[in-house]
This record gives sequence, C-alpha cells and structure tokens, in this order.
Amino acid sequence: MTGVVIVGAGEAGATTAGALRDEGFDGQIVLIGEEPMAPYERPPLSKEYLRGESDHQFVRPKEWYADNDVDARFGVRAERVNAADRVVELGGGERVPFDQVVVATGSRNRRFPIPGLDLPGVLDLRFAPDSDAIREAAKTGSKAVLVGMGFIGAEVAASLRQLGLDVTVVELAACPLERVLGPELGRSIEALHRDHGVEMFFHDGAERFEGHGRFETLVTKEGRRIEGDFAVIGVGVEPVTDAAEAGGVPTDNGIPVDGSLRTSIEGVWAIGDVARHDHPVFGPIRVEHFDNAVKMGEHVAKGILGSDEIFDDAHWFWSDQYDAEIQMSGFVTEWDQTVIRGSIEERSFIAFLLKEGQLLSAFSMNRKLDVRRSMPLIRARAHPDPASLSDPAVDLRTLLPKD
Amino acid sequence: MADWVRVGPADDVPEGEMRSYTIRERMIAIANVEGDLHAFDDVCTHQQCSLAEGELDGPTVECPCHGSQFDVTTGEVINGPATDPVDVFQIQAQDGELQVLITDT
Repeated sequence: MTGVVIVGAGEAGATTAGALRDEGFDGQIVLIGEEPMAPYERPPLSKEYLRGESDHQFVRPKEWYADNDVDARFGVRAERVNAADRVVELGGGERVPFDQVVVATGSRNRRFPIPGLDLPGVLDLRFAPDSDAIREAAKTGSKAVLVGMGFIGAEVAASLRQLGLDVTVVELAACPLERVLGPELGRSIEALHRDHGVEMFFHDGAERFEGHGRFETLVTKEGRRIEGDFAVIGVGVEPVTDAAEAGGVPTDNGIPVDGSLRTSIEGVWAIGDVARHDHPVFGPIRVEHFDNAVKMGEHVAKGILGSDEIFDDAHWFWSDQYDAEIQMSGFVTEWDQTVIRGSIEERSFIAFLLKEGQLLSAFSMNRKLDVRRSMPLIRARAHPDPASLSDPAVDLRTLLPKD
Repeated sequence: MADWVRVGPADDVPEGEMRSYTIRERMIAIANVEGDLHAFDDVCTHQQCSLAEGELDGPTVECPCHGSQFDVTTGEVINGPATDPVDVFQIQAQDGELQVLITDT
C-alpha cells in the first residue's frame, strides 16, 4: 500500500505528519512544502520575531522528520493533486503516488494591481523572509506606511511602534477590522493604536506607490501623500487552490470539505486555511488562523486512521498588540446583539456576539479566561441570558445548557 | 538540596480547580484532578503566561494566552504552540498542610 501525501508544509501540514506518527501510523508519509525551511510557526512573524525578540519556532524540531521516517520535501512545489491518477505531481516532474492525500496549501496574500507595487521597499508579510525584510527595513528606517488594518496590519503597526518607528496606516473601512468586528468593537482597536501613537486614516486606500528607485511616498485614493521609508501591505489573503484545481479536486472559495474534513473525492482531505469545512454550528466556513490549522491537522490524522468524528472546534485565535491580549472565539458575520462584560474604555472586556439569542462569537481585550469559557457555550449552541453574560460575577461555565 | 515547602492548607484547592503560589521566587500551580493534587511550574514554556489562569479539563491544563496544553501529571506538552514541558513537583498533604518538594538550584 502507498502512503499519505501531505501537500503543504505549514502549520496544518506539519501538524498532520506529527499527529500521524504520534497516533502510531507507521506507513509512508511524504510532506511537500514550497518553502525551503522546515515548518515553522507564523504567528510570531508579526509580533516577537518581527521585533527581534525571538528566533524561529519550529512546529517540530528540524531533525524530527528524518528521525521519524517522514519523507520531507521542502523547497518543492506540488503542481497538481491528480485525483484521477492518485498521484501528486511535483515541480520537477516527479509523480508521488498516494493512498490518502491531505491538501494543506494554505493561503497567500492578496495583491491588487496598484502602480508602484514592485518598488523596493513595498513589502508584505506572509513568510519568514517577509518578516526578515520588514525587520531589516525597520533597522534603517524611521517611518513606516501601512496599507490595510486587519489583524496583520494592526499587529505590524504595534510591533513597529514598539521598535520606535513612526507608523501611518490607511484603511478603506471606517475603523480597523470593521468587517470582522463591526464599528463599535473595531474602534476599540483604533483607540488602542491611537493611544500608542499610530496615525490612522480611514475610508482611504492605496492609489499608487511612488519613489525614485525605491518607495518614498504612498499616494492615497483621497489624494493624501504619505511619505515613509518603507510600506507594508496587509489587505487580506486568499486560499491557494492551484494544485487542487489543476488536478481535478473541486474548489469553491477554498476546497469544500464535509464535517470530518473529507472532500467529495475518496481519500482526498483538505485542512487549514484552504479548507472550507462544514461546521456543525456555523455552516461552511474557511478559517485562517493558527489554532485551526493545528486542530485540523490533528483531526485529519485521526480521520485517516479511521475516525469519523466531526470537526466541531469553536474556533479561536489571539492577536497580541502592545500589552493588550486580544482574543476572539467562534465565528459570525452578522449578529443582532452585542453584550459587553467589563469595560471597553479600560480595555478589559469581552463582547459576546449573538444572533437570535444564540451565542456565536466573543471578542475580548484582556479577559482571556472568559474567551476560553465562551467556547463550550458556542459549541453547545447556547442561548445564554444577556444579563448573566454581562455580569462579571457569573462564571460562564454555569451558563452551559444542561444536556 | 531538596526540601518540602509549605504552600497552604491541605484543602486550599477544590476539585477541578487550580491555584497559583509563589514559592521561593518560583510560580507554582497546584491542580486538583479528581481529588489528586498535582504541582507544576505556573509559567507556560511558550510565552511565560500563568497556566493557573487557564482552564483545567481532567488532567489537561490549557494556557489562556495561546492555547498550549500540558498534562499536569507529567508536565508533558499535549498541544503546542509550546514545545517544552513544564517542570512538575512532588506534592504531599501533611498535618493539614500542602507541601511541595523544591530542589534548590
């Protein structure tokens, strides 16, 4: 029998290889990743690694793959997950047969065709060398211009301020993270950055990057001219489905998978950023966060070994900015009620987001234990009493529906 | 040198709960797992958060900062991002007191 081929060696793919061996799988494992470096963790790239406070954190020690008989092909591109022939076709022409294949190709930064995008000094952040480039630019530069203020933009803004640079951000929405958090909560992020000296312009975006041989000025849609030593673009990501699509694996805003992370093709699985999984509480969603990549990697390993368990994680991520511990659980795009526990002004709060009385998500600054305790409620489809949610004296665990 | 250091009354930590103590300048957490007490370093090896502020689920403690999970009985990592285990300590209830065995380094 041929073995398991994992396409993509980010957090999700590497975790899958690790979990398969941890679970006692002794068949062949091939792990294919486009990056030459052994799989590493990306969350620090916008935070402590970017600030030069930590070195790379590897998902497993670099030697682990060889020591555990995992055929690691790093620096190799998978061109096609050929579902009909059941082979993964590599960049060099090699064909790697599979019995089971896990597609964990992740996401890539969105690139819009903005004039001047190719100027040196116009940067973005996804991989370790990107973080190195920003850190290098921050060593000699004193002024950064950021385009986009989602989580990555906000984290980079915070890290660059912490390194002592002046930071100016332009963002198309009315506040940071408006699409995810709505205006009220998004403004809590804006206030945090305002207090740390970030200059922010909303309802404005990048028109073009200008400079003589390298970036000097961002010209915005509203006609502002913002000068800086370098620019960082953070305007979201899109799923990487090229190899799946080329090989006949169905795609539709990522790779659709069922509740147990199986695609419609026998023995073909998808996990991590690229997977649009059918969640029992939220419906079909694609989640672009670290914790999801880890949990799906572990889940798919069990699935390959015979488990039919449904992936019902409540979803959770963190975003440390300055001294604020920001966390979010659950998933929601539309909600009709926001219940606050704590104080937004004092930056110690959790906001519960409900729809028709059902708790679907929670967003918090500096109340991390409540975030963790919101997760069983979300998973249980709880309809908690808003007065109890807003009362800091109520232990969220007591609001779990009985059976 | 290793010696038993008093940390509090024997019934200090209710079942299913954790408490943090500062013992000889170390933060040590004590967890009560179904009546059995376990002592471990109250500093996550990932980014130094207090584990006692996290959640205890059976013998598993989950760090409130970034979700690393440890087995409180052995200190082993169950789930990252942490990669290194936390130290565990011997613990005993003696004369109505909780005592933890501390090795001076």
